[in-house]
Amino acid sequence: MTLAHRAGSAHDATAAAEATISTWRQMAGLCTPVIGARGVDVIFRRSMYLTGKTFPWLASGEEQGGSAALLASLKVSLTGRDADDAAAAGYTLLATFLELLATLIGESLTERLVSPVWAPSEQETVS
Amino acid sequence: MSTKVTIHRLCTGVPGLDAILGGGLPEFSFNLITGPPGSGKTTLAHQIMFALATREKPALFFTVLGEPPLKMLRYQQQFSFFDFDKLNESIRFVNLSDDVTTGNLNNVLARITQEVEAFSPALVFVDSFRSIIQEAALQTEGTSSLQLFIQQLGMQLSGWQTTSFLIGEFLSESGSHPILTVADGLLSLEQSVERNSMVRKMQLMKMRGQAILPGMHTFRISGDGIEIFPAARVRGDTGEEPLTIGPLRSKKRLTMGVARLDEMLGGGLPAGYSLLVAGPSGSGKTILATAFLAEGVRQGEPGVIVAFEQTPSQSWVRTLDDMIRAGQIGLINSRSPDLSIDEIVQHLTDLIQQMKATRVVIDSLSGFELAVAPTFREDFRESLFRMFAVLSGLGVTVLMTSELEDRYIDLRFSPYGAAFLTDAIIVQRYIEVESSLQRVMAVVKVRASSHNTEIRRYEITDDGIVIGDPVSDFEGILGGQPTRTKGYRMVKRGTS
Repeated sequence: MTLAHRAGSAHDATAAAEATISTWRQMAGLCTPVIGARGVDVIFRRSMYLTGKTFPWLASGEEQGGSAALLASLKVSLTGRDADDAAAAGYTLLATFLELLATLIGESLTERLVSPVWAPSEQETVS
Repeated sequence: MSTKVTIHRLCTGVPGLDAILGGGLPEFSFNLITGPPGSGKTTLAHQIMFALATREKPALFFTVLGEPPLKMLRYQQQFSFFDFDKLNESIRFVNLSDDVTTGNLNNVLARITQEVEAFSPALVFVDSFRSIIQEAALQTEGTSSLQLFIQQLGMQLSGWQTTSFLIGEFLSESGSHPILTVADGLLSLEQSVERNSMVRKMQLMKMRGQAILPGMHTFRISGDGIEIFPAARVRGDTGEEPLTIGPLRSKKRLTMGVARLDEMLGGGLPAGYSLLVAGPSGSGKTILATAFLAEGVRQGEPGVIVAFEQTPSQSWVRTLDDMIRAGQIGLINSRSPDLSIDEIVQHLTDLIQQMKATRVVIDSLSGFELAVAPTFREDFRESLFRMFAVLSGLGVTVLMTSELEDRYIDLRFSPYGAAFLTDAIIVQRYIEVESSLQRVMAVVKVRASSHNTEIRRYEITDDGIVIGDPVSDFEGILGGQPTRTKGYRMVKRGTS
């Protein structure tokens, strides 16, 4: 299922933010048992930092505080933009996370890990 | 009789491990894999897991603080046994670090219980267990609760009908850790570094209800994972079916491929014998060995050569190369600095069986000793003894060469004391005759057989070794400075 699907027809930034965060929660839920909460957190912060280069208005991953605070600030940043910006940033963030994970544990393993939430990109264009 | 419980033995998928375990891993056993960092514990565990886990009998791999799971997955997937298709359905990884940091062992146990109940695995791995113990030691006083925890875990894991492995560094600090008494099996890995060689060894210190192979077994980690070389042992003493390659000490005699040498040996080399050819550098030991193999090929008896020496490209070497290329002769040519004798024996045994070889050449023992890792040199003689036992069990006829120091004050056959281990000995020497060097050889020993005791001159030509007449016109040859025999003509007439 893609982000656009989750955001539904309601094309507003809040829906995009919620879709991003709920997808992220599911992805984290799948990854945490395997690589640990700390492993997930480290990669997520790095993804935030990298995505922030393209979308400077996004909350920085270097921010202090727990992952809950980080998600809260992410939500605030996303809802503050227009729908397209929010959806693009949300998508980039999640894609960056998966890319980082793939460089560490390989694409094959990453795909298997998150397949229940995140379909491979070629399927995404079809659906 | 039939009411006795049958212990199923699982094939671990690690080459050599089942042999050490005495036939496989007992099902529902509670095992420890111990060893210092980098000794291959996680690799061994993963290799066993990927071999054993199936959809019906899945595996659960708990990772604890020790190695970050990201890194573990990153590196372990490089091994060929890491099968992506088995992930999720047959194999699941679970990270316990968050539960362990609380230090409450009950939480850890509860979490393990919960995961095991949810997935109902047939195999459970906990890597590394040391982290749990350390965290627990920080949080709780005394070891009673820890011991209780381990016992409970051990009991539960067996109760769930799982075969389980705890991985950690238990033995480094105290030998009598409570966990050691609870475990059914204890596999200890170690690595020793000496000079520029690194040797990995494995010891099975305990395995309930199994006739295990004692001792240190060397192993190697390659892209395919771990391969263990069980300490060489005589075949047939473990109930395995004896190998029936070649005539086992039959009355048959093998021809040597050198004219007149068979006659010197009393009609050829008895099949199944080991022959030591000792001589100084350049005396033609390798040529003799090559002739022995070439003769085998002519007779339809395949051979194997274990070569430790660089040989220049000369005519007889080309003969050897040609035979190897044609697949008539098997070659083992290992130059790695961390070689163990057991590894060579394993390869040799495999090759002998594969080629159905009856003739084996080891060229030379001197090179062999240099090739094995320094750690093994101390036990070299003992290992040679075991190697001979294995080869003899295979029924092959062995020719090995040995460098012999040019000494003219005493007569030596081999610096290793390998001479007494062999059934037959040929010694080669240089002598000085009329200001020139000549080569002589003699058959010193052929066990349980009469043989010629004459010392004969020989030459090395492009066609190989040409043995001449007995040296009866000189005496004191073995001293290197022969003198012409007095009254030689009379003696010769008298004896002939």
